[in-house]
Amino acid sequence: MTSYSNGAFFNPAYHDSETLEIDRSSSKTHHTNPYARGDGDRAVAHYSTGPTISDDVAGRVPWGGWQEESWRGMESIPMGLISTSPESPSWQHDVNHSTFQIPPGSQYDRSTSVRLPSAPSGNMTMRWRGMTMRRMSMFPNGNPTHIAFTEDAIRNEMENEEQNLVKELVALSTQDRIWAIRDLPMSVDEKKHIRSQVLAFKTSKQSRQFTCFADCSENVSLSFRRCGYNLRSARQTLELWQGIMKEIGGTFGTSVLSYFVFLKWLLMFNIFSFLVNFGFITIPLLVFDPSPNIPPNVSFRGLEILTGAGYFQYTIMYYGGYSNETLGGPVKYNMQLAYFFTIAIYMVLCGIALIFSMASSFKKNYVLADPSSNKAWQLLSSWDFSITNERAVRQRKNNLRVQLKESLSEKAQRRQLTLSEKLKHFGVYLGFWLLSTGLAVGCGASIYYLCQYEQQWATDAANWSLLQEAKTLLVPFVVSLMNLVVPLFYSLFNKFEHYSSQRRQIYALVVRNVLLKMSILAVLCYYWMNVVAKKFSCWESMVGQALYRLVIFDFLFLMLGSFFGEFLSNVIGTRLLPRLGVPEFDVARNVLELIYAQTLAWIGIYFSPLLPAIQIFKLFILFYIKKVSLMKNCQPPRRSGRAAQMQTIFIALLFFPYFVGSLSMVAYTAWRLTPSEQCGPFRGLNNTFSVVGVWIDDLGGIPGSQWVVWIYQNVIRSEIFYFLISLIIIAIIYIFWQVTQGRKQLIVLLRQQVVNEGNDKSFLLDKLQNLQKSQPDKKSKQKTQKKHTKRHLDEHSLGGQSNSNAMVQALLARQQLEEEEERRDTGGVPVPSDISTSSALIQAMLARQRAYDQDGDEHLSSASALSQAVQARQRAEGQERDEYYSTGFSENPINTSSAVAQAMQARQRAEEDGADDLPSSVSSVMMQVMQARQIAEEEDGPPWVPAPTQNPSPAGSSALIQAMLARQQAQNEYDDGY
Amino acid sequence: MIFKILLFDRYRDLAPQLVPLDYTSHPDVKLPYELIGSMPELKDNPFRQRIAEVFSEDGEGNMTLDDFLDMFSVLSEMAPRDLKAYYAFKIYDFNNDDFICKSDLEKTLNKLTRNELTEDEVRMVCEKVIDEADLDNDGRLSLEDFQHMIVRAPDFLR
Repeated sequence: MTSYSNGAFFNPAYHDSETLEIDRSSSKTHHTNPYARGDGDRAVAHYSTGPTISDDVAGRVPWGGWQEESWRGMESIPMGLISTSPESPSWQHDVNHSTFQIPPGSQYDRSTSVRLPSAPSGNMTMRWRGMTMRRMSMFPNGNPTHIAFTEDAIRNEMENEEQNLVKELVALSTQDRIWAIRDLPMSVDEKKHIRSQVLAFKTSKQSRQFTCFADCSENVSLSFRRCGYNLRSARQTLELWQGIMKEIGGTFGTSVLSYFVFLKWLLMFNIFSFLVNFGFITIPLLVFDPSPNIPPNVSFRGLEILTGAGYFQYTIMYYGGYSNETLGGPVKYNMQLAYFFTIAIYMVLCGIALIFSMASSFKKNYVLADPSSNKAWQLLSSWDFSITNERAVRQRKNNLRVQLKESLSEKAQRRQLTLSEKLKHFGVYLGFWLLSTGLAVGCGASIYYLCQYEQQWATDAANWSLLQEAKTLLVPFVVSLMNLVVPLFYSLFNKFEHYSSQRRQIYALVVRNVLLKMSILAVLCYYWMNVVAKKFSCWESMVGQALYRLVIFDFLFLMLGSFFGEFLSNVIGTRLLPRLGVPEFDVARNVLELIYAQTLAWIGIYFSPLLPAIQIFKLFILFYIKKVSLMKNCQPPRRSGRAAQMQTIFIALLFFPYFVGSLSMVAYTAWRLTPSEQCGPFRGLNNTFSVVGVWIDDLGGIPGSQWVVWIYQNVIRSEIFYFLISLIIIAIIYIFWQVTQGRKQLIVLLRQQVVNEGNDKSFLLDKLQNLQKSQPDKKSKQKTQKKHTKRHLDEHSLGGQSNSNAMVQALLARQQLEEEEERRDTGGVPVPSDISTSSALIQAMLARQRAYDQDGDEHLSSASALSQAVQARQRAEGQERDEYYSTGFSENPINTSSAVAQAMQARQRAEEDGADDLPSSVSSVMMQVMQARQIAEEEDGPPWVPAPTQNPSPAGSSALIQAMLARQQAQNEYDDGY
Repeated sequence: MIFKILLFDRYRDLAPQLVPLDYTSHPDVKLPYELIGSMPELKDNPFRQRIAEVFSEDGEGNMTLDDFLDMFSVLSEMAPRDLKAYYAFKIYDFNNDDFICKSDLEKTLNKLTRNELTEDEVRMVCEKVIDEADLDNDGRLSLEDFQHMIVRAPDFLR
């Protein structure tokens, strides 16, 4: 028996059953009760589940025995089921299944119907996994004498389980099935076996209905799938930079890799936007009007590559190079419309892509993430399995050690932080925040004055002198310089502030950098919108040029940055000041630079449709530069931040404020500003958007297109529509927000419940374990008259010989009783420890329960409302139990809640039993009963009076408990007498 | 398919004299752990022995071709996360009792930090980990606890 019970203790299935099953039926309400009142109450809550469940069952099951047995039956469920049909998936949550009359097959069916109403694959995987775990767990603890039996049962069970699995798999579609099989945690052989079984099952089912056609289609789909796999794997091998990415990930870990992933993502983004712009705007123009109309006196001088002015001014690089004509040929191509819609749709697509990737990444990485589980995370999931480099591994180990040590000491430090220290920290933060915000504002202001200075000499001349052209480089140079230098200051500030967590430190850095870049960009945009737009005749091209210069200079400074930032500090760190050490790759700063570059490209998309081409080139080169710089100069990051969360933050930043900012800038340009008169596709219009109006007017003449006009008039141009739309969206958002709040509460409740159930379980397991330890070599006897008890580990002993095991249990019971009483501030009188008992667990529980009732009675006299409430509950529980008892005893159904009455009854019972001629071993029990009664009589007159207020004496209560125990015992002896 | 062939080549390269080219007759070939553990993918992994043990059929790190394929299919980027979590759990479960208990955590910690933490620190960290991740308060981490933690740690095993 021990082996079984061992199996049960370490049986994760038991574990699973309590924590994971959602559809547990009856005991739920009791378990949700939070155990605020402590240990004793917990036990009561446990036990209170007993009668209710059994009540459920009683209708169906002929218990025909003592109710204590039914309790025991409940406790013994895991064991009992393991021995007959172990680990059937359904036993875990349903007490009803302890009726073993149900044939195993139907049990399985039931379980599937309960468990798998829909979308079974994930569930299935989990279950299969749980099962394999269980299967494995059986063996190491197995006692050799029982192995044969267990093995047999396990084999049976496995077969059943497998058949179940196959059935489920058959029900799935082909694609789902493949995925489901892939997800199974089994070896290749087992998977093959399962798959062949599934296929066999399928064919046996279908062979009669389908013929050659089915075969053919099956074959075709199979070959298609194979082809798809091959393509996919081929694509993976051909993927851009795959090897390099692996190398980087292997040496520097995931967090640095995330920079390169982001870079690649941006590159793809730009390739897409280039294709869109080039395909819909540039190619049609080139096809119909291939020669750019460059004035004769303008030639290519070389400086254009930096400035973007001069020769480029007249090419298709900028807005000014596009015509406003409807291009002829067999198909009319309206250039104005194409330009407008391409840019608009591109921006919308960008927004949608960003929102989706941001939302999914938020969902995956942020909402589910829990900041509290830091240590566990560090230890168990921070190891980067992608790292393959020996040096990196060493470094990582060191870092992890340092981090753990730090966090341990941090915890110790945090408590000692005094008020003055806090104030000091706060002052430091405030000072540095003011300083960095001031720096950002100052940068913005200086850019503004620089722009004004530039505006003074800049003329609308068609061709500048070389010097004038070179002068235009001043602004982008200063801007890029600021972008390079000021963040270094910020990093420096960060060293002086002592943030409590690394996460806060990074956030502070990021926010400051964003502030800086946003203020610079805002000033520039303001300047373009308000000054440039009014001064120059072809102002869009001028803005395009300015953006071009910014992009190019940003690129140059990025290269310089990696040279100075990484190469130089590497040299300094290794040669001059070894104290500084080899630099790390600063992911946050680098990613912010990328985001800034991308923002420039977005703003420029209207003014210079081919800017994405420059961006592609830039990102491509940058990848290699950064890679080389990383490999040569940097060491792996000392702290392993949570890369996935940082990535989410970066995508969110890219969306807001950067993308939203550039979108609003472009939208403002299109809706509010007057396009230049002399150049560009929109010349002669009031604003860019009016091109749609013109088009609609044209459409009005064509029959059959009235609905477009109607939509334009009544939807696009009507305020009421937008008003309604925003109202509806706000309402929907509100509803979703409420739902989210509800879910959050639900999560909290469910988590609480998991904890509660865990407490329940560990409590019960403790009990069982104690019991087991104390019964190491006891022969067990199978009881025949009750089916379920025969599987119980806690068997009745022959002849009621009192042994050490029972003593232990009695002691336990006494301890608990004492605890209870101490908690209630009443003096406890120890129960004599020489009570011999055979069903010790039940007795212990009973005793405690009694003590509880007793306590409740005592407290009736006190005026405390709380204790009254407690007592009321106890009473209710007691009542329940008493009812239950009465049926079991099949004699004078006592419906009183008073424990005293119970005790009396018990005594009577004991006396009756004692009167019978039982084996001599009973005599000791009888002695005890008598003793208990005597004590009760001596010490406690009042208990005989049914009024519960009259028995405040703890001694009396303990006597009563003894009586109860004795009764129990006598009963057991009596049973054994048969 | 391609991967399978590539992997077979890798497998065979470890011990060309042991592994036949022809696998049609299902020869019973096992590569010893010493060879498996010396692969560049595993060479520097602190858990290499555990990984080999978990995936090998005999539990001692000696691998058949099938075990080898299993290992790489789980370690590949394309493997589902649940599957990875399952095997990661087994890797961390040093004593194979289906729970990550304190001794497992201590072993993990020692492997990850090169035995340089004091006993006290190890104990504190382990207690903290169990405290944080153990949902049902049984003093050890079950697969469910582990998976629950993994869900909240999105960087896991990427």
